[in-house]
Amino acid sequence: MELQVINNATCTFCGCVCDDIQLHHDDVRIHKANKACVLGTAWFLNHTAEKKYPDALIDGREATLDEAIEAAANFLYEADMPLVYGMSNTTCEAQKECVALADQLGGLLDSHTSL
Amino acid sequence: MQKSKFLPRGRKDRTMVLVDIRETKSAKAADIFLQVRPGKDFELITILRALIKDRQVSDQAIAETGLTREVIDDLIRRMKGAKFGCVFFGMGLSMTRGKHMNSAALLTLAAEMNAFTKFVAMPMRGHGNVTGADVIMRWQTGYPFGISFSRGYPRYNPGEFSTVDVLVRGDCDAAFIIGADPGATMPQPAIDHLKRIPTIVLDPHVTHTSKLSRVHITTAPQGIAAPGTAYRMDELPMPLKPALKSPYPSDEEVVRRINEAIAKKPFWLPDGSQPQMLNAQV
Ligand code: SF4
Repeated sequence: MELQVINNATCTFCGCVCDDIQLHHDDVRIHKANKACVLGTAWFLNHTAEKKYPDALIDGREATLDEAIEAAANFLYEADMPLVYGMSNTTCEAQKECVALADQLGGLLDSHTSL
Repeated sequence: MQKSKFLPRGRKDRTMVLVDIRETKSAKAADIFLQVRPGKDFELITILRALIKDRQVSDQAIAETGLTREVIDDLIRRMKGAKFGCVFFGMGLSMTRGKHMNSAALLTLAAEMNAFTKFVAMPMRGHGNVTGADVIMRWQTGYPFGISFSRGYPRYNPGEFSTVDVLVRGDCDAAFIIGADPGATMPQPAIDHLKRIPTIVLDPHVTHTSKLSRVHITTAPQGIAAPGTAYRMDELPMPLKPALKSPYPSDEEVVRRINEAIAKKPFWLPDGSQPQMLNAQV
């Protein structure tokens, strides 16, 4: 399989968010992460494109994505004071959706910053 | 380290002062190490704020911080003499006695230093895109974290709406966790409450929190298999360049679909109508 190179890739493992990483990868995994620190290298090399986990779990049992989305929506809708929390290891686009979610639910919204 | 027009000798032109309650590994990298007494951060910052403005501070007050007047005077001379100063602060300041007031005092100190020279303060971040979360919440609601929409408009009150406090008091009756693993990091009473209520987790891995949740959805890891934007610690937005294709959907897609599913239900106001407080501008 042919190796491809991405220049100036962004590492989001820690809060520094280094933006000068050179990645060597094929379709399944990343083989080399130049300029990344020990933590970043481990983060890049440990992820693969394989399917390691089930799509979704409901009460510990495997479920489809559609079922899980429906269950999540129901739990959040029925709650009086739902909490939306986290948002560190995710993209800004997803964070914006989370703000909309908390707004629509009339709930609480918080990130790692408060820790 | 970077050499520049104004700092031609790189690291040698820079001074790093480390303030901590014990001598950590970082002390080796620092030029000066100041050992402050535990829980005396607020006092030290307040003394610095007074002394930069040439106010009187008693010897006893200085002794309480664990430092001497000579050391503090030297620090102030260096701070005022710098062309550009930056204070990096972390959880040791914001999570010990005084909490938010410590951060507030430090930010005031940095602001007041600008009467003498350019000075800024920057929080040290833990995981991934926390800076982005701050920026997005500020953009959408006006506040960086600890927000409640329970009155239909955003209100901000850390201590009341911040997660650990909410969970320890048992205020919320459902939790949606994304890109975080509180089940591994939070105090036990908070974890116990997450077990009692329906918890929903979005994560690329099955985490500690997933194991105590009612619903877990696997998503593509950001930056590796999911595209998007992440903010660098100095608040510059960076495009992510995913190298792999994931069999899982992105966080963005899943949250949007949950939003759509909830939007189909009647709104929580008595007549079912929905005021639109925040209009995302894209
Ligand atoms: S390369 Fe290292 S320092 Fe840079 S963002 Fe990744 S983990 Fe952090």
